[in-house]
Amino acid sequence: MTITSHGEELILDKERALYLPQHQLLAISDLHIGKSAHFRKAGVQVPSTIAQNDLQRLSLLIDKYNPKMLLVNGDMFHHGLNTDIDEFYEWRKRYQELNFILVKGNHDRLSKADYNKMSIEIHEPSFCLGPFCFIHDAPQCTEEELYPISGHIHPGVTIVGKAKQRLKFPCFYFGNDYAVLPAFSAFTGLYNIYPKNSERIFAITPKNVVQV
Amino acid sequence: MDQTKTKGYKKIKQWLKANGRKPFKFQEDAWQYYLNGYSGLVNAPTGFGKTFSLFLAVAIEALNSSEANGKKAKDRLQLIWITPLRSLAKDIARAMRETLLELELDWHVGVRNGDTSQAEKVQQKKSMPEILLITPESLHLLLAQKGSSTLFRNLKCIVADEWHELLGSKRGVLVELAISRIKGLQKLEKNQFLRVWGISATIGNIEEALDVLAPNPETKRIIVKADLEKKILIKSILPDDIETLPWAGHLGLKLAYKLLPIIEKSKTTLIFINTRGQSEMWYQHLLNIEPELAGRIAIHHGSIDFELRNWIEDALHTGQLKAVIATSSLDLGVDFKPVDTVVQVGSPKGVARFLQRAGRSGHSPHEISKIYFLPTHALELVEAAAIKEAAKTNNIESREPFIMIFDTLIQYLVTLAIGDGFDDKVIYEEIKNTHAFKLILPEEWSWVMQFITSGGDSLSAYNEFKKVTKDEDGLWKVKSRQLAMRHRLHIGTIVSDAMLKVKFISGGYIGMIEEFFVTRLKAGDNFRLAGRVLEFIQVKDMTVVVRVSKQKNAISPSWNGGRLPLSSNLGSVLRKKYNEALNKTHQDEELDAVYPLFLLQEKRSHVPRNDELLIELINNKEGFHLFAYPFEGRLVHEVLAALVAYRLSKLLPISFSIAMNDYGFELLSETEIPMDESIAYEIFSPKNLTEDITLSINSTEMARRKFRDIACISGLVFQGYPGKYVANKHLQSSAGLFFNVFSDYDKHNLLLRQAYDEVFYQQLEEPRLAAALERIQNGTIIITNPKSFTPFSFPIKVDSLRENMSSEELEQRIARMKAESEKIK
Repeated sequence: MTITSHGEELILDKERALYLPQHQLLAISDLHIGKSAHFRKAGVQVPSTIAQNDLQRLSLLIDKYNPKMLLVNGDMFHHGLNTDIDEFYEWRKRYQELNFILVKGNHDRLSKADYNKMSIEIHEPSFCLGPFCFIHDAPQCTEEELYPISGHIHPGVTIVGKAKQRLKFPCFYFGNDYAVLPAFSAFTGLYNIYPKNSERIFAITPKNVVQV
Repeated sequence: MDQTKTKGYKKIKQWLKANGRKPFKFQEDAWQYYLNGYSGLVNAPTGFGKTFSLFLAVAIEALNSSEANGKKAKDRLQLIWITPLRSLAKDIARAMRETLLELELDWHVGVRNGDTSQAEKVQQKKSMPEILLITPESLHLLLAQKGSSTLFRNLKCIVADEWHELLGSKRGVLVELAISRIKGLQKLEKNQFLRVWGISATIGNIEEALDVLAPNPETKRIIVKADLEKKILIKSILPDDIETLPWAGHLGLKLAYKLLPIIEKSKTTLIFINTRGQSEMWYQHLLNIEPELAGRIAIHHGSIDFELRNWIEDALHTGQLKAVIATSSLDLGVDFKPVDTVVQVGSPKGVARFLQRAGRSGHSPHEISKIYFLPTHALELVEAAAIKEAAKTNNIESREPFIMIFDTLIQYLVTLAIGDGFDDKVIYEEIKNTHAFKLILPEEWSWVMQFITSGGDSLSAYNEFKKVTKDEDGLWKVKSRQLAMRHRLHIGTIVSDAMLKVKFISGGYIGMIEEFFVTRLKAGDNFRLAGRVLEFIQVKDMTVVVRVSKQKNAISPSWNGGRLPLSSNLGSVLRKKYNEALNKTHQDEELDAVYPLFLLQEKRSHVPRNDELLIELINNKEGFHLFAYPFEGRLVHEVLAALVAYRLSKLLPISFSIAMNDYGFELLSETEIPMDESIAYEIFSPKNLTEDITLSINSTEMARRKFRDIACISGLVFQGYPGKYVANKHLQSSAGLFFNVFSDYDKHNLLLRQAYDEVFYQQLEEPRLAAALERIQNGTIIITNPKSFTPFSFPIKVDSLRENMSSEELEQRIARMKAESEKIK
């Protein structure tokens, strides 16, 4: 689905990604690489395939849009180094040309050397582009002129209909003051958001992105 | 060996005689069988000394033996007494200690459960008492300790008290597993004298109850049944006018004034209320309508602080209290002598539970138990009539034991691994001999072992997984201390939301409330707990700090206790009573009281006869409703409703929300529901049943809901522990997320299968559903179109759980919902 915000064209992809054609930038948020391995290390059974699947989805997106830049809007890595991150490193090597930008989030605590090794460009606290300011947690944005695009909360929306019908989806939120991207990783929960009247919400169904 | 010739027996008889008592026959029988090496089950009404039938058996044997005392500290443990409730242990321990003192048997009685202090537990570890009173969870915690495998060397007997209560739950499986381990440990020592006994109230499947407890048919087993009858007097509290009672809801507070004279003329009254939230309301209301009761009534439920509950129980013993409002926390065996009257508010949902509660009054032999039933809505009067009849004909429910509960097995294996470790070949043999896992397949066992050692099957790699590993001595163990600590905190199968302790700012604990409730409170808000109105100040160090409020009224927290479904026995009696109500072919005053309501039902729609199924189609602002009334109990209705919805949704794209209660169910849709006689017979057909049920379960949330408990019990989701909440942000996740993840990436996961199996086998009882559908096919289906809600449909509409079922495209649904409501929440 293509929308316009602050004079720019934005593509909302059902794979929980945002594409800015003018800048050839693909933006995702809350990738949480290493989360499943972190759980496994602590004795909780989470399949490794879940992380591999996240990277596969990302590969498909890169093939589809052929971006110059891939921006991760925070929480790229869940905790410390582990095998999930080794796998990411191998995956990363396939995209030498791609400029990889990380806007730091609360979970991103690897050392500078580690980010360097994986050729990830660090921006803290935000990365600004055109009318937008990419930042992990919107309320912390100090760029008053720009429209913050954030992540962090893993937004979800519940649609309530007649006859007690109720549906819940991950979503994109484009509010009056800021926007929130959905969490990219499949191993994340949802936090319900309640939009005001004039604000736009785009629910992500298995097949489509739908404005609600 | 004839016990009457033994030293111990003579001493016991002497002691009883000195106290002016003599044993009942069933007690002497139990002693004799015990001495002869039998395991078994004692079945007797409350108040006739079930405890003594087994405790004295062990004492007689000890008195007969010359080496009863002076053993090495490690070898002292003789008797493990498993109780389902903490409150029971204290009273039983007191009775045992007094008896031992008078018998001059130098034994110690220890209590070990969630309320036991750390210091006492350490002391017990140094030197076990001869008798240990313990909950199933604490027994597993004991197995989780290093060195625990040497504790049971001299154990003579394990008693499962109130076994009927544990049997039909996963806690019963905990007991089965612990027994299998202790037996195994004794076998290693070449000891063969362990006997396993249960104490049970009357249930429909008492033979099976013995089978579960002592599954080896080659051991000597016996059911000792007391030939005694407990007289019970049941009386309903009727409204003067049926309009006084609401058509639905929970409260019935309008009838509360009728309780006052009952409380007044009784010595002590126990008032049972089904949920903790409502019990708080009733406490407040009784005080409001009769201020004279202040200081003479108390409130008792599981979320009230241990000290306070202790005080109430002591006051009950000494007769200081006129009435106590209680939930199931006071259901079981505690013997409060002054209690001579019991009141049940709202439907008890089962005959066994009702009789159990009745038995709390007139506890001594030959006294009459007196119970009053206070309905909280009009149709509950019919339930009262049904319960009276079922009690009279002794139509008592079975408690179905759980089988193939992989979540509990996984928890148990990790428990052993953090204790002294285990040999998988040995344990496999042990669990194969339990009732719960006798059908386990070798491949299922190896899946379970893989799950705890390498994470899961090789098809879906679980890199870096660390939990149970093989030690140098060849035993499977947990090495990480952190992991062991986390596991210990969540041993058990009762899953509740995270609880926080509530404390006065000036000091002193009041009880516990759910974290979810606290998150909605702002400083200065008031809520009720333990019968007091409290003002919320703040949450500090995982404790809710409050002060006494000046307000008189406040909200009650709603603890998410499970709702009780109506038992199938009661369901069929209920159907019969519905028939009789309109015909006036009965003797029940309750049915007379509710007669006007049935007239109204007949006028607006129809009152179904025994061979009829009533379907009501009602169309209003909310949408198109379909109500059906099979009277099969809520659990079966949940599945049946999903089945009917699924079959209707095959006819055309349509979305339903589904609701149900014990009488019937509702399908609600935004678009008209296709319905005529031929469709009705079609959708209630027993044809293709298994296949259609499987498909309908898959398309609702039933399995997902079952998975909530499974994820906690198996250790996937860590919930913390009452009062010991441990926040661990990096490991936070939810059962729902795991359900999705396994569905997508690890379809062969046995825990996932267990969720579906629990719906299919435990909830649904396929034969029962098939029989219900046969009955409907051979009877008449009546379809009516009432203009407004009927007395039957109203309770389902306002008071029920909901499900969803749809055959529409998601995008279409969203578009339509958006267009028609323009309301996003």
